[in-house]
Amino acid sequence: MSDDKLLDDLSTLKESFISTIDKLTKDLKRSQKIMDRSDRQQRKEYDELQVQFEEVEKLQKEIEETQREVVFTMGSIAESRSKETGNHVRRVAEYTYLFAKYIGLPAKECEMLKQASPMHDIGKVAIPDAVLNKPGRFNEEERKIMDTHAQLGYDMLQSSTRPLLKMAATVAYEHHEKWNGKGYPNQLAGEEIHIYGRITALADVFDALGSARVYKPAWDDERIFKMFKEERGEHFDPQLIDIFFDNLDEFLVIRDTMKDIA
Amino acid sequence: MENLKIEATKYTPEIDFDVVNGALNITGKSYPENTFEYYKPIVEWIKEYMTVIDNDRKITVNLDLEYLNSSSLKAYFDLFDILEASHNNGKNILINWIFDEENDIAEETGEDFIEDFTSLNIKLVVKD
Ligand SMILES: [Fe+2]
Repeated sequence: MSDDKLLDDLSTLKESFISTIDKLTKDLKRSQKIMDRSDRQQRKEYDELQVQFEEVEKLQKEIEETQREVVFTMGSIAESRSKETGNHVRRVAEYTYLFAKYIGLPAKECEMLKQASPMHDIGKVAIPDAVLNKPGRFNEEERKIMDTHAQLGYDMLQSSTRPLLKMAATVAYEHHEKWNGKGYPNQLAGEEIHIYGRITALADVFDALGSARVYKPAWDDERIFKMFKEERGEHFDPQLIDIFFDNLDEFLVIRDTMKDIA
Repeated sequence: MENLKIEATKYTPEIDFDVVNGALNITGKSYPENTFEYYKPIVEWIKEYMTVIDNDRKITVNLDLEYLNSSSLKAYFDLFDILEASHNNGKNILINWIFDEENDIAEETGEDFIEDFTSLNIKLVVKD
């Protein structure tokens, strides 16, 4: 092989080598560019995602807040049309939460009961004004009409598919049942009464007795405690009465911090 | 040679290539499951088109791509390679890179193409 031929070959080799390197360099640069561009795009997308996620969370909170408001308002409407006043439904909500917690219901259920229990008297919105707002004691016929509020509340709420309103339907239906089977509307006894009903019954009575009304003064604590002891296993679930006395301080704190403003 | 028309899907753009009036339109988003498979017939069509079309026929490529994943972006770089080679073979090609005013990524991508393919006639077109 002559030197010329060798030089020619080397020259060709060099050219192909350079063009290969050029192509490789170009490809690498391009890959780098694509990757940079993708990274920036991803960062932007992720930023936007986070913003949207925060917005969804905010909305979710707002929905929950609105639901709470609506529920309290519904409960308050029922109360305001009757002789109950002020913070009754709010205190009942707190009491039912405490009972639920100490009887060992899951945290989420406690929170739900706190929201559902204020609706226990919602059926009263369907009671005629003449009966509902009658000053003084009810006669037997008026009492019968008043007692329909449990059934009425249940009828209003039971068709809902929302778990919270379903729970509220149970509460409305069973909050006047008694442990001994002498309550209404269905004379359920013991654990036939749903725990939500048993809890709300005790919370409702505790608050009603301790509050002054146009037609009656507030009972003092001695009298309430005596009555609760007598009604343990009669009107009320004995276990809940025990919880009440075991955690009395906490119940009284709620009562004191959420007093009615006269 | 037949026109090429592919409907848009959630993940792929609409393809509307017209042989007679020389308009090659790609419109939409591109993040297919298999980018290579998706673009293969499209690239094949363009390669064939460049062999059958006369040099003095004007070709307009309208690219309106609001979203590209990285493998799609790679596919478009490869497509521009083909367009550049065709241009070097004497084809008369205009590329309109179309984007929304607030789509910074799309705008920057267009600028990238201009930077990389200096011989090609690429126009940035803001949608109104
Ligand atoms: Fe009631």
